Amino acid sequence: MKMVLRLVLLAALIAAGVWLWTILFPGPEKIVRERLAQAASEASFQSGENPLVSAARAETLAGFFSTNVELNINLSEHGRHNFAGRDEIIQAAAGVRSAVSSLKVQFPDMNITVGPDKLSAVADVVVQVQAAGDKDYYVQEMKFTFQKIGGDWLITRVETVRTLS
Amino acid sequence: MRRVIFGRNLKLTLLRAAVWVVVCVVVFKLLLVHIRVDGISMLPTCPDQSVYWVNRLAYVRNPPQRGDVVAIRFIQTDKAISHLETPGIMLLKRIIGRPGETISFVKGRVLINGEVLDEPYENYEKFPCDWNSAPVTLGPNQYYVVGDNRSMAPEDHVHGECERNQIVGKARL
Repeated sequence: MKMVLRLVLLAALIAAGVWLWTILFPGPEKIVRERLAQAASEASFQSGENPLVSAARAETLAGFFSTNVELNINLSEHGRHNFAGRDEIIQAAAGVRSAVSSLKVQFPDMNITVGPDKLSAVADVVVQVQAAGDKDYYVQEMKFTFQKIGGDWLITRVETVRTLS
Repeated sequence: MRRVIFGRNLKLTLLRAAVWVVVCVVVFKLLLVHIRVDGISMLPTCPDQSVYWVNRLAYVRNPPQRGDVVAIRFIQTDKAISHLETPGIMLLKRIIGRPGETISFVKGRVLINGEVLDEPYENYEKFPCDWNSAPVTLGPNQYYVVGDNRSMAPEDHVHGECERNQIVGKARL
């Protein structure tokens, strides 16, 4: 009985150790997942947000992207939009904030593939957006390409994906 | 009071509870998926905000059939673990084309290998359709899926080919 208890305790200790290791030293997939969740949070906003806070959050959002980022967005209802660089992202974020009073962005499903070099990753993401006053939310599949630049995982490319070809 | 809560045999009660937890997790996480329709693309069969169960085991033995209403995952993946995960958002569509078939729309009617498909679930008077599309030949693992409500422009209605591994299961209507 004592032996069994010791074995159980040892297994629990190993499990706790592995869990702690993943917390302290997260793998690229976990980091990318967290970066996307943070980006979604920064892209969302409530009505009545202070303009200074809005500007700061737009800057923070742009910080998730590389300086030479490319965004190719092709939405059937909203047409094709291309953005390049952080400045255009900040402008686009400001444009969205002036067009709608609140926005909720979520990424309910993600599939992340880390490159063999562990310095790049591709995230296939389902983007769910709900604007103020809309009963329904808009859902779009997108592909985010990440690269580890200067120790940070930054988004270098974003493109819309047609779910059913 | 203790006997009322835990029963005569505490060990047996705990074992029963554990078995029920395992059964519930397996059934409601892996076998049956609870979905709520959001949108009008499956009208009149599946009204907006209606709730259905999706049977994930429906296609273990037999392949998906034409006419089946299926839940489709957005993201294509080759990871085995991802197939076990239940997607947060899925598409609910009807299968109209099976692997190897050629599908096209002519004046709103579906043509399979050049022959008009009989679709008793369609209500063309209430939901008129005027779609036209070039023929598409499906690959060996592809299915053609579309919603029942085709009264909107085709570019506003998500439809087309999906891979077999994108089909999560069959909706129980």
